[in-house]
Amino acid sequence: MFPGGVPMGAQDRLQPPSIPYRFFASALLFHAAAWVLLLIGADELPGFRGGMGAVPAALHLITLGVLAMTALGAAFQLLPVATRHPLGPVWACRLTWALFVPGVVLFAAGLITVKPMFLHGGATLTAVGLGLGVLLIGRNLVRVADLPGVTWHTWIAVASAAALLLLGLALAGDVGVGFLPDRGAVAAAHAILAAYGFMGNLAMGFSTILVPMFVLGPNVPSQTGQRTAVLSGLGLVLAVGGVLAGLGWLAALGGVAGLAAVGLHLHALSMVLKKRMRKRLEPFFRLIFPAWGMLVLSLVLGIALALGAPVAPLWGFALVFGWLLTFVTALLQRIMPFLASMHSSAGGKPARLSELTARRPLDIHAACHGAALVLVLAGIAFDVPLLVRGGAVSGLGGAIAFWVFAALLARRYQLHMTSHS
Amino acid sequence: MLPQTRIGALLHTDHLATIETLQAVDEMLEKHRKAKNPPAIEGEVKELLQRLSKTMRAEVEKHFGFEENHLFTVFLNHGETGMVNILLQEHKTILPLALSLADKADKALEGGFSDVSWAEFRSQGGELVERELFHIQKEEMGMLAAISYLVTPDWDAKLAETYEQTVR
Repeated sequence: MFPGGVPMGAQDRLQPPSIPYRFFASALLFHAAAWVLLLIGADELPGFRGGMGAVPAALHLITLGVLAMTALGAAFQLLPVATRHPLGPVWACRLTWALFVPGVVLFAAGLITVKPMFLHGGATLTAVGLGLGVLLIGRNLVRVADLPGVTWHTWIAVASAAALLLLGLALAGDVGVGFLPDRGAVAAAHAILAAYGFMGNLAMGFSTILVPMFVLGPNVPSQTGQRTAVLSGLGLVLAVGGVLAGLGWLAALGGVAGLAAVGLHLHALSMVLKKRMRKRLEPFFRLIFPAWGMLVLSLVLGIALALGAPVAPLWGFALVFGWLLTFVTALLQRIMPFLASMHSSAGGKPARLSELTARRPLDIHAACHGAALVLVLAGIAFDVPLLVRGGAVSGLGGAIAFWVFAALLARRYQLHMTSHS
Repeated sequence: MLPQTRIGALLHTDHLATIETLQAVDEMLEKHRKAKNPPAIEGEVKELLQRLSKTMRAEVEKHFGFEENHLFTVFLNHGETGMVNILLQEHKTILPLALSLADKADKALEGGFSDVSWAEFRSQGGELVERELFHIQKEEMGMLAAISYLVTPDWDAKLAETYEQTVR
């Protein structure tokens, strides 16, 4: 056995549990609030062409409140472990959260009430909070020479975040002033950078670490990760350039490059799954597979939109709720107990994942979320607000079930720590 | 998961053997989950219990021992205390569980399962499968990657030699 005790060193890279979980808890609250807002704005969604109100507020509660919030919490915890370099001071992580959460609330309030004071204040707080988080991630990446398959994607995410924040601030500043010559084009570029550039590249980069780990499969080769990053970066440049220059064919070409990146990425992950050592796939894969399908659908719809098809709301919903929200809730339900189990080692005997994970609420979430996607997509496609309303209620039911899962996880973790301390 | 060092490759091969055995145990437990009576000790069940006893004793006595006495020292010298703490804590939990299950497999091979001993075997087997697979997940992704990063070629050769002498 190991001789003597284990000294605690300064290079411990696992953040205190309060860091990732404060981001995850906030994300779960915004998740439910977004479905409520979508329920309120159900009548506007099928023909939505941009503007203010409940629909863009719901959209931003998902993109900022759930997706970016979860990405920050997960990156703060996983990136230092994956790159083997410390992230930065814990206070900076706390400050990121303290700025970002009120920023998201204020910004959503501004979108609903159309009050420039709320919009500008919220956008500024959000930009500073997210900017600080991205700065911490970039600072960590600077020290990493290996893992190019992951870091190239993460660098594109960092660059996209910087660009989307600038465009987002310009869009918020434009409200009530009107200095942007083509607000719609800037909004489209902002959306592409946020969803595919920032979140998409984080998802692709981290998937190459997380999927092999969860299924005990071979790593995705670095060259594959580099190729998907290059294609993804090229697609972003073409798509954003195309929408800003008003050249639909160029934006569509960007979508094709994005499809090629996704095809390569999914092929690499399917090889990981094929060669995996752990035969039984865990339940969260029932959300991962449809999320990947929605990613492909969103790109096809995006290309159609760039070529003039009137599918903007369908594209937006498939992209944000269909792909990213499904993907993030799938990872969240696996990462939350995973991290809780890792942290429970401090109390002696580590807690088992099955002890921490309440299966039933996750079953309910998966069913409600799946039904919500089908209903809302059908509601938009056939212009039936009643279906959108039904989908929003189902999505809210799923979000509440996820809360129950998280509350039971916290309760079970506390009980474990108390009984083993 | 594609070890770049000799010692990484040796540990990975051990993991493969352990995973294969644990998955077979998991399938056996699932197959007999709803059966009224314990399985008879014959055919595949007999072969699996023999393999379980041998593999798990080797895993926790030799494989864990090598990591704790030789490999973790290298990690600690590089300040990797967090990972070592977590893996050590898991070793402490898995070791008695694995030895107890191996004992139960040996007893079953001698005299079969009673209702009580089968219920205990099923409960401990399920716990071991879950804990050990989770442990191997972390070692494959965290520890083998750290070996590639931290262990110099000289140390790699020394560790591989020690492994061949103490584990194989």
